Amino acid sequence: MKLDAKVPEGRLEDKWRNYQVQSQLINPANKKKLNVIVVGSGLAGAGAASTLAELGYDVKCFCYQDSARRAHSVAAQGGINAAKNYQHDGDSVWRMFHDTLKGGDFRSREANTYRLAELSAPLIDHYVQQGVPFAREYGGTLVNRSFGGVQVQRTFYARGQTGQQLLMAAYAQLYKMVRAKKVEMFPRSEMLDLVVINGNAKGIVVRDLITGELKRYAADAVVLATGGYSRVFRLSTLAIGCNGSALWKAHKKGAFFAAPSFTQIHPTALPQSSEAQSKLTLMSESLRNDGRIWVPKQQADTRKANDIPEHERDYYLERRYPSFGNLAPRDIASRAAKERIDAGYGVGRLKNAVYLDFRHAIEKFGIQTIKDRYGNLFAMYKKITGIDAYQEPMQISPAAHFSMGGLWVDYELMTTIPGLYAVGECNFSDHGANRLGANSLLQASVDGYFILPNTINNYLANALREDHPTTEHPAFEEAENEVRLSINRVLAVNGTKTVDHFHRELGKIMWQECAMSRTKEGLQKAIEQIKTVRDAFWNDVKVTGSSNELNTELEKALRLADFIELGILMCTDALQRDESCGAHFREEFQTADGEAVRVDEDYSYVSAWEYNAGDFKLHKEALAFEYIQLSVRSYK
Amino acid sequence: MALNPLFFRKTIIAGTGLFLCIFLIVHLSANCILLLPEETARGLYNSYSTTLRESPLIKLVAYALYASILLHVVYALLVTLQNRKANPQKYVLNRFQENSTWTSQNMGLIGTMILLFIVVHLANFWARIKLGMGEAVRLDAAGNMDVYEVTSSLFHNIYYVIFYTVLVIPLALHLHHGLKSAFKTLGFYHKKGLRIIAKVALIYAIIMGAGFGIIPFIVYFK
Amino acid sequence: MKVTFKIWRQEGPKDKGAIRDYEVEGLTEDMSFLEALDHLNELLVLNNEKVIAYEYDCREGICGQCGVFINGRAHGPHDNMTTCQLHMRSFKEGDTIVVEPWRAASFPVIKDLVVDRSAFDRIIEQGAYISAKTGAAPEANAIPIPKEMSDRAMDAAACIGCGACVATCKNSSAALFTSAKINHLNGLPQGYAEQHKRVSEMTYQMEIEGFGSCTFTGACEVECPEGISIINIAEMNARLTKSRIFG
Repeated sequence: MKLDAKVPEGRLEDKWRNYQVQSQLINPANKKKLNVIVVGSGLAGAGAASTLAELGYDVKCFCYQDSARRAHSVAAQGGINAAKNYQHDGDSVWRMFHDTLKGGDFRSREANTYRLAELSAPLIDHYVQQGVPFAREYGGTLVNRSFGGVQVQRTFYARGQTGQQLLMAAYAQLYKMVRAKKVEMFPRSEMLDLVVINGNAKGIVVRDLITGELKRYAADAVVLATGGYSRVFRLSTLAIGCNGSALWKAHKKGAFFAAPSFTQIHPTALPQSSEAQSKLTLMSESLRNDGRIWVPKQQADTRKANDIPEHERDYYLERRYPSFGNLAPRDIASRAAKERIDAGYGVGRLKNAVYLDFRHAIEKFGIQTIKDRYGNLFAMYKKITGIDAYQEPMQISPAAHFSMGGLWVDYELMTTIPGLYAVGECNFSDHGANRLGANSLLQASVDGYFILPNTINNYLANALREDHPTTEHPAFEEAENEVRLSINRVLAVNGTKTVDHFHRELGKIMWQECAMSRTKEGLQKAIEQIKTVRDAFWNDVKVTGSSNELNTELEKALRLADFIELGILMCTDALQRDESCGAHFREEFQTADGEAVRVDEDYSYVSAWEYNAGDFKLHKEALAFEYIQLSVRSYK
Repeated sequence: MALNPLFFRKTIIAGTGLFLCIFLIVHLSANCILLLPEETARGLYNSYSTTLRESPLIKLVAYALYASILLHVVYALLVTLQNRKANPQKYVLNRFQENSTWTSQNMGLIGTMILLFIVVHLANFWARIKLGMGEAVRLDAAGNMDVYEVTSSLFHNIYYVIFYTVLVIPLALHLHHGLKSAFKTLGFYHKKGLRIIAKVALIYAIIMGAGFGIIPFIVYFK
Repeated sequence: MKVTFKIWRQEGPKDKGAIRDYEVEGLTEDMSFLEALDHLNELLVLNNEKVIAYEYDCREGICGQCGVFINGRAHGPHDNMTTCQLHMRSFKEGDTIVVEPWRAASFPVIKDLVVDRSAFDRIIEQGAYISAKTGAAPEANAIPIPKEMSDRAMDAAACIGCGACVATCKNSSAALFTSAKINHLNGLPQGYAEQHKRVSEMTYQMEIEGFGSCTFTGACEVECPEGISIINIAEMNARLTKSRIFG
């Protein structure tokens, strides 16, 4: 199968317009007859569901949480980028496109990335109209701040709760359509399989998390907006419920999985403090605007941070990357922190952190300004650690965060299964090998609000001529039976170890071998180790309770079973890419001073994996760069 | 859109409550007459009470007063019943004292105590003077009903003195919380203004409590 | 560290439910409260017992899904904090910790510590939005919004919908939740057109859902993880009156 990205003709600036002009339209009276399933209710899911409903489609929206408002978009703190150039600092769609592509180390499709930048400006208009209380100047206009990997100020924010505020807008708009009876909302429902009829996605099988009942839903198209899979590392900044199961089921039914090993490690999370830890809390990257990162110049320094004099502090980001300093992109900042920690300069009780210091900013701007900018982040830091960051520096550490990889999608955001779309973090489209800060809310929103509602009609126009699928079809029967079998299989093991035990095992392997730096040997070893974990899991896991009740252990077990298989694919993908690019850093491919070495002649492609009865087959989508000169990504 | 009963009922309670608060100021001012030397006080107090009884305007106010008490009680009862229905199962352990005042959590109980007080109070005065129940009230030298005598004799009974003094405590608590929250219920949301109101409510409650509480004692020892 | 949990167990909505005791060892002060419950659940699994059902998702205090009554307080002993932000260092060796689900007629128990808060969604459904379709927005800077106005809207908009306000209220009133949303939108120029409809329909839904009325005990603003001020309720009352007169 040849991967066709379906990039429209024309100049980069005209592609999206050309696409819209040429795509098929559907008469409003006919839209009513078409059903769309949206799985996930974050910015991408809620945005898609509400906009599709506004256009006239009948939408069913599913989420595993108790309400659409809990989706993990809620947790993004720092902001959302848009090429508005309100600061008059030389920003433009082109500059944003370039920053994003370069930030992703030239591993994404030009046309997609350009469209992301192009649609960023109307997105801010959209959210302001939906009542998002973005930060304002005294004169009433919108404020911007800087974010990593960028030299202009293009990030819009609502205190430290930007994601929450955007999600509240999306969730409210979704419920507006629920009230209009155009969206039917199914909270506490987890998709456990995709139903494919004659090669087209036609429905899903869902487990009602309260009763345990398996339910079938048919539709003319299925949209996945299920977010990222970084919980494969167990310890991550993600919500505990975030999972890769919907993606994995789709993958097993034929959707190609692109660049699974591109997972971002965020530089500013709170360090792990114990084995029992379930989550690493993220501190917004926006803190790097005013905070300075340092470690002591002396190894294993036991003095308190405030007792270490200025000349004995190593502001290593400013030292290594003078032009970007503390605002170096995430992958670089994370790796630099790891380098210092591994070299024995780490701070904190477990020596696994670095300092993020606001002393200079407080001296310069006054404590009130810092409070205005980051008040709730400081409050959150205090709640979790008991430390007052106005008095002493924060301790931060890298943590698994965003997954750039996801289902392979073309320009229309359709996967390799016709009728199955992937939007937001769960696809691989715009970020390449590394995502810039504040581009995640942007991509999820743009996919959901602006792109998908304008591309899905191109497929649905044809679906209109076909029969509508029904849940009586044998494919539904088959899918439901498969799900039931796997549930029974997990429950039947009745071993001696808990689900969390195996998740910790998996997480350790992944963090060790497939996180910030990777080696060929390590990855090969990891694949074997994960297979051992997989076998142990199926022989020795213990899940109590039954399948026909609210059973959180069962939910966790089913998700973990998929994570384990996904882990193998991630390592396989990292292993085939003999280069370092973005978040993917192979130790074999680095310069003498530890910077990444990209191998453009061999690896300028997107790896897209086809599932083949337990094995994975690699397909390559070559990346052609017509408008941008590939360069060594330098932030020095 | 139908009227919102939650809001409507609370508005009635707050409105009548505020009216009763104003009434209490007038009531306490009049009671201050009792603090004057007996000769002056008797004449003044009796002529004042006669004026109150005979003025048609005051009559109107009196009816408003009865209605207010009645509405305040009836709606408070309705609200309480509805609130109970909204929260039928109590916590095994609830440390509400850590997040709110005892008074605010027990306005119903406090209100019931005040209601009990009002019943006794009305039986002591209103029933005798206005309804002519019990022992007839004598006339004073000026030909007015000798209400002063009624008061004075009542407050020479130590049990009544204690009863009246003790029950100003729930009254003061009720007034303090009631006054504060009545403004919020009626939609006053000015931040600084509410802080001032909170202070005023405290001072008001103390004055009312102390005033009504101390007068029976002074009369007793006079 | 060793503590005794007294936890509400209830099989389903119709089951009566009761407190059960669990002595748990091997906890550390660094553990969050939910991690302590995770630990207990692992012990239960190994003991062949059903796990305790409780809710959580983001575990960083923003999604609003977690929330239980801990030792007589919504979200535990601290003011303005979510359950997931509570750490075991707030307890002492040998403490007894009573854990109960949110109690309110409008939040029926589903299982153990899990309650149904969909009443909140239905209140939102009645107008917590600005009816502008995707694609219909004017330029973002076209309508300047004074910083104070925007900040006030943000203060109210910070609500995470956890339901602690209802849980701690002796009347199970949803007034803080509803008022925060109303004031956020009605306080912005974009929300102006639908202000009267919004306030009257959302408060009406609050009534239908069976929440009680606000008597200003003030407990909600103390337990609210976002510290949303009770003055919001007064403001909502004012808006309601205004909508009666002008709406």
